[in-house]
Amino acid sequence: MTISDVAPGGKAAGTGSSERHDGPILELRNLEKHYGPVLALKPATLAFNYDEIHAIVGENGAGKSTLIKLLTGVIRRTGGEIFWNGTPVGLDTPQEAIDHGINAVHQEVVLCRHLSVAANIFLGDERLKYGLLNKREMRGEAQRLLDDMGFNLPAGAELGSLTIGQQQLVATARAALRGTKFLIFDEPTAYLTRQEAAQLFALIRRLRDQGVTIVYISHRLEEVFELADRVSVLRDGTLVGTRNIKETNENELVSLMINRSIEQIYHKEQVPIGETLLETRHLSGKGFEDISLTVHRGEIVGLYGLIGAGRSEFAMSVFGRNPRTSGEILWKGQPVDIRTERQAIKLGIAMAPESRRDQGLNLNLQIGFNINLPIYDRLTHGITISNREEAQHADQQIRDLSIKTPSRRSLVSSMSGGNQQKVVIGKWLNHGADLFIFDEPTVGVDVGTKAEIYRLLAQLLKNGAGIILISSYLPEVYELADTLHVFRDGRLTGSNGFHQSTHEQVLAEAIGV
Amino acid sequence: MTTTTEEAVSKEARRARRNYNFLFALTLVGILLLLWVILTISTPNFLTERNIPNLLRQGSMIAILALGETFTIITAGIDLSVGAIAGFTTVVIAMLIQAGVPVWLSIVITLLVGLAIGIFHAFGITKMGLPPFIITLATLTSLRGIGLLMTNGATISITDKGFTDFATLDWLGIPSLFWMVVLVGIPSYVFLNHTRWGRYIFAVGSNPEAARLSGVRVQFILYVAYSLSAVFAAFVGILLATRIGIGNATQANGWELQAIASSVIGGTSLFGAIGSVHGPLIGAFILATINNGANLLNVNSFWQQIITGGLIIIIVFFDQLRRRGR
Repeated sequence: MTISDVAPGGKAAGTGSSERHDGPILELRNLEKHYGPVLALKPATLAFNYDEIHAIVGENGAGKSTLIKLLTGVIRRTGGEIFWNGTPVGLDTPQEAIDHGINAVHQEVVLCRHLSVAANIFLGDERLKYGLLNKREMRGEAQRLLDDMGFNLPAGAELGSLTIGQQQLVATARAALRGTKFLIFDEPTAYLTRQEAAQLFALIRRLRDQGVTIVYISHRLEEVFELADRVSVLRDGTLVGTRNIKETNENELVSLMINRSIEQIYHKEQVPIGETLLETRHLSGKGFEDISLTVHRGEIVGLYGLIGAGRSEFAMSVFGRNPRTSGEILWKGQPVDIRTERQAIKLGIAMAPESRRDQGLNLNLQIGFNINLPIYDRLTHGITISNREEAQHADQQIRDLSIKTPSRRSLVSSMSGGNQQKVVIGKWLNHGADLFIFDEPTVGVDVGTKAEIYRLLAQLLKNGAGIILISSYLPEVYELADTLHVFRDGRLTGSNGFHQSTHEQVLAEAIGV
Repeated sequence: MTTTTEEAVSKEARRARRNYNFLFALTLVGILLLLWVILTISTPNFLTERNIPNLLRQGSMIAILALGETFTIITAGIDLSVGAIAGFTTVVIAMLIQAGVPVWLSIVITLLVGLAIGIFHAFGITKMGLPPFIITLATLTSLRGIGLLMTNGATISITDKGFTDFATLDWLGIPSLFWMVVLVGIPSYVFLNHTRWGRYIFAVGSNPEAARLSGVRVQFILYVAYSLSAVFAAFVGILLATRIGIGNATQANGWELQAIASSVIGGTSLFGAIGSVHGPLIGAFILATINNGANLLNVNSFWQQIITGGLIIIIVFFDQLRRRGR
């Protein structure tokens, strides 16, 4: 039994989707989107064929999400034409896209966590009996669908009790049930384990074989080569090329994506390694176990691993945010008992946390406020704060980091991701810390800012600081870290010197194959 | 080219924003003055030597309550107990004075009772994990009960003439109760805008996790905010006792809502991290003026309540419009 066999109860896929015409299923001609004077997507011409998996790659901010939003009717285009099965269409509303059979599975699962799997699959399209919900039929049908796809998932389980990977599969099943002809995946594996990703890939191929056109958006090239038939590259809102996957290679895609070589971005300088700053001995806590490592002045220590491997938990414990259960920490050779963030800060540890929004910034307050927050006790003379010094410090960081803002009084929420990240980092530069912990410092940051941040790291090293750099993006830690530690399931599974191991070896340590 | 236009746009936005904060404060004062002008014209009883001090006395106590309340609201919390604390502390100070405790010591003890209540609130929030709404709601009902138990439901009259005369005094023609607003308001202004503790209160209201990771002692700041609110409320209880000359736990009924309304009218955001000292003070006197004016014009007191509600909606709506524009 195939998925489409299970699906007849679902709404028919709508206009013309059952008959195929000779050309591509979806064709974009000079599709364009601008917000005021800012072009988010420069005129793009692109055709998606029947029965293909078409990958779209590009750096953050390259225009991928704009393209998805245009295709799913979330935003309206400001120019160009879209042809669906050879017929011009508007795609002005999400409903219109769904009616045609265009659906998207997002990175963050947008379903209801407190409802059951079955209820989520049928959400908005419930089966009724005498005007009441026919829960038994929905659960039975959902279970058949899940079993048929080879997922070992109970349809009655609450969605929130599943892993994110399983939720992703449910979201895909939901789209499959709706007679989808054109399914867009937006970085679906960002939070998945390797095994869950493999399961998802199997499902994607299977959908393709059943006649669904797949658009797969990712910035992980290894996935693209594993999965896609063709690949299109976006850079700074421009569609820079489309290639058959068999006729291209990683280097070509990278140079298309960033238009410069890897060496130019990953700015690294040789700085003499100095005294030991931090040493952990068999440190254990919630989410990590038995971690021993050292950080010296002038050294970048990289922590690589999949999301949830325990890197951030370890760092947060060193910073005093989360308690440790055993093991010890030595700071400049002396055993220390760090119980609070304040203690860590006082010792000279600075932390730029993973999530800007949740941990790093006071979004609805001013930029200057955010920059000065860690040093207000130093700006205080007697009982009041010196307004002059406050302004001076804020302006200095804004200048030094070239944060693009009209004034230190602007709200942080009004800035772009890259500039926000500069504030997260900048607030520690006045503090004069010895050890800087950067947790995913370049997520959601454009290439230019990335390079600036890397240069900043080099500057800190030259000033005698040590750095712990946490990243899920292998090239970043691979090119920058003097020592690269690999985490898997809360344990240290490998330690590599600079360029000592290959990408594949590091990846193997992280995945555990 | 796009950058220059962007810069120009944001420069304009910044200027507009800065002007807006100033304009909002000015608008509040404008509303207050407008109300006064209208009332002066429409009734001869408004701008009189008896009414104006009376109006200032009425507004002063709510103003101080609203100011304390604002500290908790800026931390993205709320204190529903301020009215109950004021009522309860009239009983406390009345009992102390009647028991022969010197007035100054009675005042100190009463303020310490307020401090203890505030510390209890912060304890419930930080250590027991209760939402501020719940813990202060619980205090609201139980404090009135405790106060009534202590007096067996009776009212205690305060016979110390010096104490009860205080509320009727004035200095430079301005009633003593209004001077108390100045006494509380100026240190509050310095505290909120010119000390790091003030900054930390905003930081906690904006994002407690980010504040914590920046080295702010978030729990301690919550203790400070709720203690200030409760101590201010106890202070209002003392002022109320001097004004009415009795101790009774049912007094100041519903004042917490007037305090919250004053704070919100004054531009405080219930989502935290936005608020000022002058805002709730002006807000309280706007409310007091509406009540006073309605009394003088013989407007049905039910209408007063409706007008107050409408005013809250209008002012907060315009404030929201501005924030969305950011």
